Amino acid sequence: MNQQRPEYLGPALIGGVLAGFLSGIPYLNCLCCLWIIGGAILAAHTLVKRTDVTLTAGDGAIVGALTGIVAAVVDALMDIPLRAYNLEFARRLMEGLADLLDEMPAGWENWFDRGSEGLSAGMFLLGLFLSAVVFSILGVLGGIIGISLFGRKSAPPSPSAPPPPGTADAL
Amino acid sequence: MATDVSRATRFVLAVCLLGALLWLLAIFLAPVLQSRSFSRAAGFIYALFAPTCHQIPERCFVFCGHPLAVCGRCLGVYAGFLGGLLAYPFVRGFSQLRLPSPLSFLLLSIPIGLDAAGGILGIWASPIGIRFATGFLWGAILPFYFVTGLADLLMTRRSKSPPKDGGPDPDHPASGPVVEKRPVKGVE
Repeated sequence: MNQQRPEYLGPALIGGVLAGFLSGIPYLNCLCCLWIIGGAILAAHTLVKRTDVTLTAGDGAIVGALTGIVAAVVDALMDIPLRAYNLEFARRLMEGLADLLDEMPAGWENWFDRGSEGLSAGMFLLGLFLSAVVFSILGVLGGIIGISLFGRKSAPPSPSAPPPPGTADAL
Repeated sequence: MATDVSRATRFVLAVCLLGALLWLLAIFLAPVLQSRSFSRAAGFIYALFAPTCHQIPERCFVFCGHPLAVCGRCLGVYAGFLGGLLAYPFVRGFSQLRLPSPLSFLLLSIPIGLDAAGGILGIWASPIGIRFATGFLWGAILPFYFVTGLADLLMTRRSKSPPKDGGPDPDHPASGPVVEKRPVKGVE
């Protein structure tokens, strides 16, 4: 009964590198969090393909969280060479915002001057940490969705009580 | 076992509800702080959401004269997530761990998929209300994955952790020296 533990890292690397790369490219990152969720779904799909054991939603959560962390690292590394371009993109957005709004915070033009001077190691690590937290949450979601879409290899017995009458639903 | 499922689900649901409320609060807090000239604090919150959202001002709802920290579609997803969390006990109850069917996920993904694809391909530029609505629909199904998956993970971890006295745990007969990976997923 002792089943082998699934190998999470390989699938997480595949999904995370792809998701981080796509979410780091300007314009393509307009799909918001969907790249991370999509990458985690891909990781779950890869995990299902590579393992013979019955996978649970918890396995999806683990591989998804790892995918999110990998994606955050790749996204942060992508941001280093693209930082100047992203700052210019953000400057254009803020200029568009300034046209729309009556009042802008004082000195907003200087924000980008500060950013273009370079990124300190502390700020880089803080940004990486915050991204890793957010991306891993999104990755958990994607991993569980991926397991639900691809993970059914056999009909597993449910440990919980059968659904009481009236709770069966369209979901 | 059903009690364990119920306990784990309630715990995860409570944590998720708190997290979702704080998340939405932060989205609205950014423009409020900006309007009251707390630019650094507002900038921090805007930066916090930047990795997950393009934050294009024209695609964001405006609050207190400033754009929210995320676009209309993302706000819809997060608001839908909160709505799904609130609906979870009534739809799923606490006595079972079941993931939604793939069909229901695909059906609820169609509107947001079509809306986003049309926008990217330049076929149409949907109004922000439509973006919010399609995001809300999609976000509403997500808690049924998130809560179920985390509750499953929590139960698996608990069953794998050895009891403090080294003997078998009466509440978790499967735990102990021989760790069994329990297949608790039940996709409908």
